[in-house]
Amino acid sequence: MKKKIVSVLLCAAMVAGLAVGCGGKGEGGDKGGDKLVYWSMWSEEEPQAKVIKEAIEKYTKDTGVEVDVQFKGRNGQREGLEPALQAKQNIDLFDEDVNRVNGSWGKYLMDLEDVAADYEKEHGNETLFKIARTAGGGTLKSIPYQPSIFGFFYNKTLFKEAGIEAVPTTWAELDAACQKLVDAGITPITGDTTYQTSTLGYHLGRYLGQDGVKALVNDPAIMEKVEAGDVEDVNWDDERVLKALKDYEDFASKGYFSDKMASNVYPDGQNKEFAPGDAAIIICGSWLPNEIKGMVADDLEWGYFNYPAVEGGVDGAEANNIANQVFAINKDSKKSKEAMELITYITTGEFDKKMTEEALCIPTDKANADAWPTELTEVKPGFDSTTTYYDWAVGAENNADLTSAMQEGFVKLMVGDMTAEELVKDCAGICGE
Amino acid sequence: MKKNKGMIVGFLAPAVIIFLIVFLYPIVRTVIMSFFNIESVTDAFEYWEFVGIDNYTKLFKTQIFVLAMKNILKIWLIGGIIVMALSLLFGVILTSGIRGKKFFRAVIYLPNIVSAVALATMWRQYVFAPDYGLFAKFFQLIGADKLAEMQWLAPENSFKALLIAYCFGMVGYHMLIWMSGIERISPDFYEAATIDGANKLQQFRYMTLPLLKGVFKTNITMWTVTTSAFFVWSQLFSSVTANKATIVPVQYMYLQIFGAGNAVTDRNAGYAAAIGIILCLCVVLVFTICNAFIKDDDLEF
Repeated sequence: MKKKIVSVLLCAAMVAGLAVGCGGKGEGGDKGGDKLVYWSMWSEEEPQAKVIKEAIEKYTKDTGVEVDVQFKGRNGQREGLEPALQAKQNIDLFDEDVNRVNGSWGKYLMDLEDVAADYEKEHGNETLFKIARTAGGGTLKSIPYQPSIFGFFYNKTLFKEAGIEAVPTTWAELDAACQKLVDAGITPITGDTTYQTSTLGYHLGRYLGQDGVKALVNDPAIMEKVEAGDVEDVNWDDERVLKALKDYEDFASKGYFSDKMASNVYPDGQNKEFAPGDAAIIICGSWLPNEIKGMVADDLEWGYFNYPAVEGGVDGAEANNIANQVFAINKDSKKSKEAMELITYITTGEFDKKMTEEALCIPTDKANADAWPTELTEVKPGFDSTTTYYDWAVGAENNADLTSAMQEGFVKLMVGDMTAEELVKDCAGICGE
Repeated sequence: MKKNKGMIVGFLAPAVIIFLIVFLYPIVRTVIMSFFNIESVTDAFEYWEFVGIDNYTKLFKTQIFVLAMKNILKIWLIGGIIVMALSLLFGVILTSGIRGKKFFRAVIYLPNIVSAVALATMWRQYVFAPDYGLFAKFFQLIGADKLAEMQWLAPENSFKALLIAYCFGMVGYHMLIWMSGIERISPDFYEAATIDGANKLQQFRYMTLPLLKGVFKTNITMWTVTTSAFFVWSQLFSSVTANKATIVPVQYMYLQIFGAGNAVTDRNAGYAAAIGIILCLCVVLVFTICNAFIKDDDLEF
């Protein structure tokens, strides 16, 4: 009898489970109900997420609109957003890198030219909006925030110790500064392998321009233009390419790079060499001060200079990779007005300022133009003087089949384990030349 | 008992339907996808572009994929020999009646219950750290200066470092499988062998090993299945973009589906599906070879 009762109960539980599983659409959960649904690229513990949460609280308090914010993290956003958008899941707004949002997810974006016209007039940073429009194919489809620039950070204390008075603006000046650091017994340059394709991209970009770099690495997106003759066809046997690599071979032979350059898997270079003051210069993005703020040496004084110009190059120090995160509104969103309001709360005024304090980042709102964190004071002139905008790594990472080999070869070149000619030969082989 | 066909169908149907939906549909879909160019993995069929076997031919002409296949083969072969040998050794020792068997078994198995992400980070940040790492300190202590100065995460050494770290984590799992096999062998056999004058080594060579043929097959299959899906360790040893020295097919597949590193690169889920099919065929091949060469159906004990 007991067995029968247990069987009946188990059956009932199973049927109830199935019924719940097959239930209709609920108001809560992933569907969001009446809430404004925001998928965020940040992880919940990051300072940016904390500021965003505070902005959302204020927004809800002021407007009564509840927000379902889901902190997905970079990978979660990259892996999950597009399938969710394709499945018509209720997502009103989301954020990620400007090129990814406009490039990979462009077809899901709402045209913001009208929606954001007043916002742009009042708060819009001209440079960032120009980049956002370019990424959107000439139309504004995303609202930029938390901009960054990629260049050389340096330790002013160590520069003073080595007797360097002015920041280098040309490759020859960087050479001289590094020599002084070596003479003073200081390791001049460190970095993380993660960023070394960017370093190489920058240097090649100085000689070839961004389109030249993209043509060199066989970026599938530019090959049509190359075939049509709109962009110069650059190959690995180009003497400018060898010259660019020879510059680095020369620096390596002079001992300018940390001997751990090839084994510094992110974040070892920035955490273990630059932060404690064991190396004077590091190439990184302006997110660096935020990432290492808890571990920098007491006497580290932050300095920055744009990637230097090279002799006979196409681009100078005014060409840089300025990137930013952007907010975008789902074209199917029924709450675009509320989404734009929330974006305004997060990216302007009080919370934009708070973001610069908590995440040590560059302000977004032009009204906060003076709110740059102290650590980024020297970044401002470099940022403001930028007139040519590079993509990430100046396009050097745009061919996934080449990146790994190029990165490995380049870090080997930096520690003297490979010659410029060998690297050219390797890359040419992969590109089928 | 009278068979009730309706009852059989009724009870089997839910399981069969779920199996078809959960396993067969994705397999068939993946096979079909591998013959198309598909930008996003969830794109509707109308956006798929048929390319025949182009994805497969392109893969074998792509240096980085061939390299990834070579890397996974090395992990399977070299790592397999190391893991199988060590796990068998530990399995034999722990079943030989030593004291503290449960403690040692738990210690050796421990890495399996720690997340691979935490383990890989521990190896990268602590064990392989050039200045204060465990290896650097240990080799300094024993006076092996060259080894102490070795940069484990530099391109020329990072594969070795990855293999050591991965094998460390896998020994415990396979040891348990060996142990379950060894414990199935009756102690009476060993007692009889001892009375007949066989020493421990002879008992191992002529009794334990032949009786473990079936378990060996299981271990090889499990090892092949696990290594074919090798991903997290390579990803963590490479940080953002894949490293040439440690790239494996699943990592390359990930780059093809979701884009590589920080740049916006071409995506092709069909190309990635072709990688999945190739890996699947590799596992089937190993399993078939194992079945053909290791016969254990003649054993009864």
